[in-house]
Amino acid sequence: MAEPLLNVEDLRTYFSTEEGVVKAVDGVSFKVNAGERRGVVGESGCGKSVTAMSIMRLIEPPAGEIVTGKIEFDGRDLLQLPEAEMQEVRGGEIAMIFQDPMTALNPVYTIGDQLIETILLHQDVSKSEARQIAIGTLADVQIPNAAARMEDYPHQFSGGMRQRVMIAMGLSCDPKLLIADEPTTALDVTTQAQIMTLMLELAEQRNTAVLLITHDLGVVAGFCDTIQVMYAGAIVERGTGDEIFHNPQHPYTWGLLGSMTRLDETQQERLHSVRGAPPSLINPPKGCRFGPRCDFATDICREALPILHQSQEGQRVACHRADELDLKALAIGAAS
Amino acid sequence: MFAYIIRRLVYGIVTLFALSLVVFVLIQFSGGTPLDRLKLNPRMQPVIAQLTEQWGLDKPWYEQYFIWLKNFVTPIDVPSEPGLTVVLFGKLGIRSWVAVAAGVVAIGYSVATFFIRVKANWWRTFRAFSIIGVWVAAFWIAKSRVVFALNWGESFRGDGAVWDNVFGAAGNTFRLGLTALAIALILGIPLGIYQAIKQYSFFDQMGTMLSFITFSTPIFIIGVMLQLILAYQLERWTGVKVFYVAGMTSSGYAELERGLFGLPSLAQWGDVIQHLTLPALSIAAISMAGYSRFQRASMLEVMHSDYLRTAKAKGLPRRTIIVKHALRNALIPIVTLVSLDIAFIIGGAIITESIFGWPGVGRLYIGAINAIDYPTIMAVVMAIGAGVVVMNIVADILYGVLDPRVRYD
Repeated sequence: MAEPLLNVEDLRTYFSTEEGVVKAVDGVSFKVNAGERRGVVGESGCGKSVTAMSIMRLIEPPAGEIVTGKIEFDGRDLLQLPEAEMQEVRGGEIAMIFQDPMTALNPVYTIGDQLIETILLHQDVSKSEARQIAIGTLADVQIPNAAARMEDYPHQFSGGMRQRVMIAMGLSCDPKLLIADEPTTALDVTTQAQIMTLMLELAEQRNTAVLLITHDLGVVAGFCDTIQVMYAGAIVERGTGDEIFHNPQHPYTWGLLGSMTRLDETQQERLHSVRGAPPSLINPPKGCRFGPRCDFATDICREALPILHQSQEGQRVACHRADELDLKALAIGAAS
Repeated sequence: MFAYIIRRLVYGIVTLFALSLVVFVLIQFSGGTPLDRLKLNPRMQPVIAQLTEQWGLDKPWYEQYFIWLKNFVTPIDVPSEPGLTVVLFGKLGIRSWVAVAAGVVAIGYSVATFFIRVKANWWRTFRAFSIIGVWVAAFWIAKSRVVFALNWGESFRGDGAVWDNVFGAAGNTFRLGLTALAIALILGIPLGIYQAIKQYSFFDQMGTMLSFITFSTPIFIIGVMLQLILAYQLERWTGVKVFYVAGMTSSGYAELERGLFGLPSLAQWGDVIQHLTLPALSIAAISMAGYSRFQRASMLEVMHSDYLRTAKAKGLPRRTIIVKHALRNALIPIVTLVSLDIAFIIGGAIITESIFGWPGVGRLYIGAINAIDYPTIMAVVMAIGAGVVVMNIVADILYGVLDPRVRYD
């Protein structure tokens, strides 16, 4: 099998605060293959975004720091690269799209300026060629009248349009990996669907690997080949879309799925919710981090931290009781 | 845009009109008359009667106001003055002022266009020529020998025409105020930017501390300390007179050799700088502290913005991120601040001018108030008012140039 495009090993990113060290990402390992679309889901503060920021090395010391770990991208360890080479990687080989398109573009430069700037930075082309590429990508993200809109400023675009511009900016240099950090959270639902369809088409066309970070399970369902669920700074379950949605092995995944509204649900039942609140990342609970909120916790869960292992069902899961529990059979939550 | 400026100017004239009325009434009803001091001497009685008649002080206040207003906007003939030297030193006629204004426009224009995208070479060429053109025009106007004046009346203190006094003092005040502003901007803005880039570093903490100390020290302390240390003690230690504590030039200034084309010579420039440095530094110290704080705050806000994170994620080098993406956004709020500060330069620095014996508008103004010298008080108030109105408009225009989200129609 070929080398994976991205290989993250035991990544730990800590933030020092006055209350103590926040272990935002605490031992995360995963691989993303070329062209693969990977979803990263979890609730707010579980370390999804910090993982992405760590890959891009956008964590600013002294506030946050990547303590240990290895991020291999295309055969190079990004954490060992000098800053100048890392700048080549950012935007050129790994592009990133952010959550709020309303504020992600510089208000005092035109869309064209900001697109051309990226292209000139990473590709060896003339200014007019860069302009042509920029117009092309704008057209690719379905901005009507692309050439004329190049001269417009961000405030002349709607939220959805701005996110398209961000996608165009991300894809303009043909990156091998696109990290999308909650790209649709700030948009209304119909626009969300358009943006996701657009990203799917473009990623397939260009064979770009995508790391999609979201708390919205509905968004990953149609988009991702594989999904990893994060909880309190660690991955608790990883598998294909089918595995995760139809046969969750971890009680947290199962709880998350149960808290989704479903259009085909006929009975008027209360939505399931995962009880309690996420644990402190400064002093995480002993044993399984999900233990205090888990309906199935036993003594071993309170003692030992479960590690991610291959379950009998196929996916990888970090739960002591994964094999003995039959979550699928329990009615609440889990999909059909 | 043009319609907007015209509208703002019309509002401005209305504002100035209201200002003149309010101030005139306030002076009239604040008690005392300009001739009170003469009453102590019984033999002055006929003089008082004559001056009361001559200045119209026996008329009702509204009649006095309309006489003042009519005269205030009426031009009078005055003997001509030499041009360029007048711009740089001493008394100024309105032509010379136009020249100075044109120069300011040219500088402002070149600064503003520096930030505007240049699309074609012809635009660049045009821009360069237009700046040169404005400067040539300014020189030509300055060299021309015609001088213009309005009938602002005679000072009640018996020291000549108000027009001459105000513009003479305004030239001195501008020399001091603009130098101080330049020092404050050149040092304060980069200081604030650097502090923001190196937030919480030793340099940042020191800068913050010094800014607060300077900002909270009264100017009469700063001024006197500078006189004591940089003038008096420095001369004692080195035996060389480096800075002067008072005045604009030495008494022997006129005898110093003159430069080419009637311009001041190097020796004369040196003399001017020796006098100018200390008062300018006193004013600049406080403004600089203020500017650096504002600039630091505004820069920090931009540094933490989402679009800067985008710029970083694009792979831009740090220098480009700061110079191109952060700086332009961070300078926008400072424009308003500086524009209004320029307006208040016209009013002069009353305390600093007193400490350093600087014959500027501030000293003229405080003297006029003490003597209840209506014509001078009114002239200075109107000059400050006009400055505020004009600089407000300038600030709004610059805002529109710097920030594409701002449009006037």
